[in-house]
Amino acid sequence: MNGPLIVQSDKTLLLEVDHERADDCRRAIAPFAELERAPEHIHTYRVTPLGLWNARAAGHDAEQVVDALVQYSRYPVPHALLVDIADTMDRYGRLTLSKHPAHGLVLTTTDRPVLEEVLKSKRIAPLVGARIDPDTVIVHPSERGQIKQTLLKLGWPAEDLAGYVDGEAHPIELLEDGWALRPYQKQAVENFWHGGSGVVVLPCGAGKTLVGAGSMAQAKSTTLILVTNTVSARQWKHELVKRTSLTEDEIGEYSGTRKEIRPVTIATYQVLTTKRKGVYPHLELFDSRDWGLIVYDEVHLLPAPVFKFTADLQARRRLGLTATLVREDGRESDVFSLIGPKRFDAPWKEIEAQGYIAPADCVEVRVNLTDAERLAYATAETEEKYRFCATTETKRKVTEAIVRRFAGQQILVIGQYIDQLDELGEHLNAPVIKGETSNAQREKLFDAFREGEISVLVVSKVANFSIDLPEATVAVQVSGTFGSRQEEAQRLGRVLRPKADGHQAHFYSVVARDTIDQDFAAHRQRFLAEQGYAYRIVDADEILAGG
Amino acid sequence: MSPEAPSAPRSLAEALRARDDASLAALLRSRPDLITPVPTDLTQLATRAGTRASVLRALERLDRFALQTAEALAVAPEPASYDTLLGLMAGDVRDDTVAAALPRAVATLREQALVWGDDERLRLVRTARELLAPSAQHPSPTGLGPSVQEATAGMSPGRIQEIVGAAGLASTHDSVSAAAGLTALFTDRKTMAALLAKAPEAAREVLSRLVWGPPYGQVTAEPAAHLRWLLDRGLLLPTAPGTVVLPREVALHLREGRAHREPEPLPPAVEPAGTHAPQIVDATAAGQAYTALATVEELLKDWDEGGPAVLRAGGLSVRDLKRTAVALDVPEPVAAFWVELAYAAGLLASDGEADERYAATPAYDEWLERPPAERWARLAEAWLAATRTPGVVGGRDAKDRTLSALGPGLDRSAAPEVRHRVLTLLAGLPHGAAPTAESVLARLRWERPLRGPQRDGDGADDLRSRLARWTLSEAELLGVTGRGALSAQGRALLGAPAAAPAAAPEPSGPGDKLPVHHRPAALHEPLSTTEQAVATAAAARLLAPLLPEPLDHVLLQADLTAVAPGPLRRPLADMLGVLADVESKGGATVYRFTPASVRRALDAGRAAADLHAFLTAHSRTPVPQPLAYLIDDVARKHGHLRVGAASAYVRCDDDALLNEILADKRAAALRLRRLAPTVLAAPTDPATLLEGLRAMGFAPAAESAEGDVLITRADAHRTPPRTAPEPVPDGPPPPDTTLLSAAIRAIRAGDLAATAPRKPSGSALAGGELPRTSSAETLATMQAAVLTGESLWIGYVNAEGTASQRVIAPIRVEGGFVTAYDHTADEVRTYPLHRVTGVAELAEE
Repeated sequence: MNGPLIVQSDKTLLLEVDHERADDCRRAIAPFAELERAPEHIHTYRVTPLGLWNARAAGHDAEQVVDALVQYSRYPVPHALLVDIADTMDRYGRLTLSKHPAHGLVLTTTDRPVLEEVLKSKRIAPLVGARIDPDTVIVHPSERGQIKQTLLKLGWPAEDLAGYVDGEAHPIELLEDGWALRPYQKQAVENFWHGGSGVVVLPCGAGKTLVGAGSMAQAKSTTLILVTNTVSARQWKHELVKRTSLTEDEIGEYSGTRKEIRPVTIATYQVLTTKRKGVYPHLELFDSRDWGLIVYDEVHLLPAPVFKFTADLQARRRLGLTATLVREDGRESDVFSLIGPKRFDAPWKEIEAQGYIAPADCVEVRVNLTDAERLAYATAETEEKYRFCATTETKRKVTEAIVRRFAGQQILVIGQYIDQLDELGEHLNAPVIKGETSNAQREKLFDAFREGEISVLVVSKVANFSIDLPEATVAVQVSGTFGSRQEEAQRLGRVLRPKADGHQAHFYSVVARDTIDQDFAAHRQRFLAEQGYAYRIVDADEILAGG
Repeated sequence: MSPEAPSAPRSLAEALRARDDASLAALLRSRPDLITPVPTDLTQLATRAGTRASVLRALERLDRFALQTAEALAVAPEPASYDTLLGLMAGDVRDDTVAAALPRAVATLREQALVWGDDERLRLVRTARELLAPSAQHPSPTGLGPSVQEATAGMSPGRIQEIVGAAGLASTHDSVSAAAGLTALFTDRKTMAALLAKAPEAAREVLSRLVWGPPYGQVTAEPAAHLRWLLDRGLLLPTAPGTVVLPREVALHLREGRAHREPEPLPPAVEPAGTHAPQIVDATAAGQAYTALATVEELLKDWDEGGPAVLRAGGLSVRDLKRTAVALDVPEPVAAFWVELAYAAGLLASDGEADERYAATPAYDEWLERPPAERWARLAEAWLAATRTPGVVGGRDAKDRTLSALGPGLDRSAAPEVRHRVLTLLAGLPHGAAPTAESVLARLRWERPLRGPQRDGDGADDLRSRLARWTLSEAELLGVTGRGALSAQGRALLGAPAAAPAAAPEPSGPGDKLPVHHRPAALHEPLSTTEQAVATAAAARLLAPLLPEPLDHVLLQADLTAVAPGPLRRPLADMLGVLADVESKGGATVYRFTPASVRRALDAGRAAADLHAFLTAHSRTPVPQPLAYLIDDVARKHGHLRVGAASAYVRCDDDALLNEILADKRAAALRLRRLAPTVLAAPTDPATLLEGLRAMGFAPAAESAEGDVLITRADAHRTPPRTAPEPVPDGPPPPDTTLLSAAIRAIRAGDLAATAPRKPSGSALAGGELPRTSSAETLATMQAAVLTGESLWIGYVNAEGTASQRVIAPIRVEGGFVTAYDHTADEVRTYPLHRVTGVAELAEE
């Protein structure tokens, strides 16, 4: 009884990472427990019904789970908890979705009362057809996703054995000349392919695009890739051309400006969710080809309408890519039921330790509001408060000091408010990329930054996602979208790509003291702190004096 | 010993008189109501043993087979020989298991004085017979009807003659001998078989319907032919117009002699549902024991500053119970269990103030100081003995009032006995084996069949079964069992030996000589207080090494959490509890530092430096920079704003004037304080301040008063000293050995006093007459008795002038008083010698 694991009554598992058996234990519990926090000494995992069903879906049974807990636990595991785990896992697979030779998609059960129970539900009734025999009921093929979603909510997750359509074949190979998939990327592709559909969780900068490319090379079929915005789409295209046998002509872009449908098509969420006269005109994209694989980039941002379309695509293989399963809207269970269970994840620190992402020094700089600003802040309307404190004059001075300190390195200044950014751009003598900057101009500036022609770039939140700035070593965040944790993770990701010269990355957050800016910052940073990226906190005076 | 036992006792009293002390002790132990108060002699004991209430109590405590035996005796002729009884129990085929178990059952009945007489003439005590014998109102569980004798009692002689004739017997005019003849016919298996062979098919079917009871049937005025056939031969006898009964003898013939359809000679085995390694069981139980301690502490900490209010009718409101359940993160019934457990252990009580609230008792503070294993032992001990049953919380009483936790109406007197019995059954299994609840319940039902259906039940289960179920789940919660199996510490708590004990020795024969009073008492009887204390201490000793050792360090992390990878030493835990919020509990505790929690620590009087030192001292790892920064940041702001109490203030734009007031000696009594250049504050009320300033020659004006500060109470809320609720047993406690032997001596003495020949002592005494001796003789005899330690029989007149006789053992004679152990009253008493009318020595035994 001296294991590395402590089982808590709220079903969290505490893993002591310095323990000699910590690695074995991590491997044993990873299939069913969700890594929630990974600070330096004790990692916290959580056992949720979703996690347990994930494990069942991956072929683990309750006995293995209980064994893992009992084997590694330092203290006796409460009997009730073990019983609860067994009960929860037992709920998975009582219902199965499968193909019936005569009736098409059917829902069958091994436990008749369960079927009776779910059929009584008002939400299930419209999704099913006739009862073929006491244990089988027909499901409308179009409702495959819907019924999975609903059953999960009812607590009886269905095992989907109905299989996938292969889709239109298309030759895709990885061109591994001078580079190769990293071991964890290979593992991720393998896990995904073996599981059929699902989500791969990797830190920013860990090469999620390559996991996508690897999966496409496995599928060898036409592929639809959904990304967050046009810049990101271009980067996917660039990367695919470089890393695979695909040529420019085989890859289409489906965005606001271009509407190409090719064997591999990259579409933005934005164009898909554009609504005209109450309908989504670009939905036919999903049916325009017989796609064999659908890739969702940044799953945690997947907009609600896309979930709805995805429900109709249950017969296609689906791959979700993300840095975090944390969704600010709490729809993790929809990701589970519609895209698939988590197939792979690795803690950031672990990949950093392997040298694939750069270590980062995170610093929070606390600045004081001037007396006049304090008065203005105190009297500001609630919705204006954040703007007031986030754009304080002092932040500009601190930012300048930081930029001065790292003169000669590639520096990104990221902010929320255009006025503030414009002013910063003026003082730093740096170009500003914001919403109104045209795509051509953006790419030009990005290229110049990459080439080192310009060393300071001020960007608004348009650059939050999927831009690839390999040589940025310093990021200064002056304001953000309130307390968004995933935005923070994305921004840190900007500087985590490994540097050619092995420079340490720096991530500065400039925060106004004693205001809601500080509260938001605390909320944003919690996610990073839990990933092991602890912030140092320094006072503005230190920076100003040093600069 | 008494003179040679008569070969055949003529009454229960005689039978009792013939029993030895050990056997009497066994009787009194199993029926403790017989010695409250101690009977004067064996005749009185026998009479009391025959009262309806006492017999009913004794019957309720019989196991199923003993009860079946008693029921069989109730339908047997009086007196019945052992062979007759064996026939009724084992049937004509002589079931071996039944035959083997019967001697024990008879011995039990004899021991309990429900049956007396030797093997040739077994007699059931009359009251028991009345209770168990079948009658029209109370159908017997045997399903047998009245005997021919009873059924024909009210019949016209002519009708009996007809039946006798139809049966082919010699006619006789005497109804009694006719009935006897009929009885003889029905008990003769061969003749009966021949008779029944001739019966029409339909008639045989009717008989087979009535054979296992109920034995009564309805017939029309003109019965059908096959019924006619039966009625004519007396195989059915009319009891009332339209009703017929199957006579007992006929039924017994059809049943091949058996009184019970299914005799249950053997207790159903308690089946193990699974077996776990004993270490796992003990460790799991210890883990749960630790949780129990933590939960009780958490509960009372939650109520530290004044717990929930006491309902007017007593108890905790449903809402408060809900809130407690949420706070403890357990379901409500479990929350009720913890609350009741703390109450039973005397750790919480109502404070008895005007607005009555629940709060921890002073005993709780003492309890907290003790080592964890002892703390657990105290809870477990309280649980074992408690008659309050949290399981019924939420149910309704007879008057349809909701039963609330800590409220009235929760006492179930059977609870401790059932609890003890269930745990004893678990103890009977091999270490590590967890039984199925159903088999435990079946066993309990076998052991106390009559105690089953009670009005308390709300449907499915009777009270004892529900108590047993609660026992199983509560034992698991408390860590007496682990994974359903009794832990080593649980075993010790029962005072049971570590391994499963061997089966109790069975008496070899049916004889009267070997009463079954030497069953392993430790396993069957709840322990006495002292024995329980010893057992509890032993349990605590076993538990102690299994409980996690409290730690003196935590791990601090940069995400502003601290993880205590095990229980913490108390001062550390207390301090951390103030400095950080608990985020998750269990084997470890996760604390989170927030600005609010750090501020709380600063409010509690800690300085930032103290906090830094505290964290550095107790952290295994360096204090993360964000945490240190957080503390400094909060400390920087802490106390920036100051709040104080003042009752009045003086405001003036001219600070020179205020200077003047402050400097004035006459203002000293007003104790003015300068808060700002233009403001003075005073602790006196505005009226006094105005008065004072006016007296000094100023002309102040009053402003509307505001800003009085309330003083909050900071002390933990405690009740006045309270004792834990006394368990309410149903009936007197089982007597201990001292009391038993004293009682037996007293009864025997009383018995001797009433019946045995006495030594001639001056004047011959007639039985029952008070002894009468001169005072000198009285004194001399008393003094002699003090020296020899003998008991004396005295006549005594009390202050009211009532004369009585008592048996006393004098201890001291001085100052005109005799101090003596009074066997009759079972205590040491002092009698004035002048009230003693006479004294006689008891006859030699």
